[in-house]
Amino acid sequence: MAESELSPKFAPFIGMGGIAAAMIFGSIGAAYGTAKAGIGIAGVATFRPDLIMKCLIPVVMSGIIAVYALVVSVLIAQDLAPPSSGTNYSLFNGFMHLACGLSVGLTGLAAGYCIGIVGDKGVRAYMLQSRIFVGMVLILIFGEVLGLYGLIVALILNTKSKG
Amino acid sequence: MATRRIISQEKSLLEKDDRIGSSPAAGEKSNIAPAVPTAVIMKLLAFTFAMIVVPIGSYFATVHTLFKGNSTYAGALAAIMANMVLIGYIVVAMNEDQSEQEAVKDTKKGR
Repeated sequence: MAESELSPKFAPFIGMGGIAAAMIFGSIGAAYGTAKAGIGIAGVATFRPDLIMKCLIPVVMSGIIAVYALVVSVLIAQDLAPPSSGTNYSLFNGFMHLACGLSVGLTGLAAGYCIGIVGDKGVRAYMLQSRIFVGMVLILIFGEVLGLYGLIVALILNTKSKG
Repeated sequence: MATRRIISQEKSLLEKDDRIGSSPAAGEKSNIAPAVPTAVIMKLLAFTFAMIVVPIGSYFATVHTLFKGNSTYAGALAAIMANMVLIGYIVVAMNEDQSEQEAVKDTKKGR
């Protein structure tokens, strides 16, 4: 790979940063959501063990945040190749992959934070008033969609590498 | 008038075997059945397995076959499959609640 002004040596470093950002921030969000919703389940299940199945919904949604980060990481990783293979990794691709990773990672962090708090307070309220279930699931879905928007932006950005 | 000793048929407090918490009285078998029914555990395990395998598996299964290397569509499919697992979980959780309510109604009718 010949070093040029458009594909400098440090371009893969920035792309790798995108992969790391996607996985790290997405997992921070998913971990916060799982932990906070898990605290809520532990509080509810001591009084109403029959509600555990429904109260696990925020935990499953937090898992989906991590799946989004995983998908984008795999997508970016497939575009990377070692310089010895003769591929030309441009600086544009590096910054684009950084944008992909940051968008899905930080929206995942936001969505996981939202799901964690709504999951904790929502299942505690559901223990006392069963009609709140539909509202809780809707709020959780709107929180989840924040992470999905980040994934959509990352997927669209990722198509630009084969221009 | 003959006096009769009062013979109590009941066991005295010291003779009784009493249950302490979940530990059974002597001579009774202890209840070792799991608190959560096996069907629920199997459902949770199945959804855990599906959550791990289905999205990333569908990506790698379709990226070179169905979408011919277009990884964007395969990535979108992986995200859709993850949400399908979530929808399936919500449906199963709702049915779980309804079947429990019906079971409670049946026991009330039986009495």
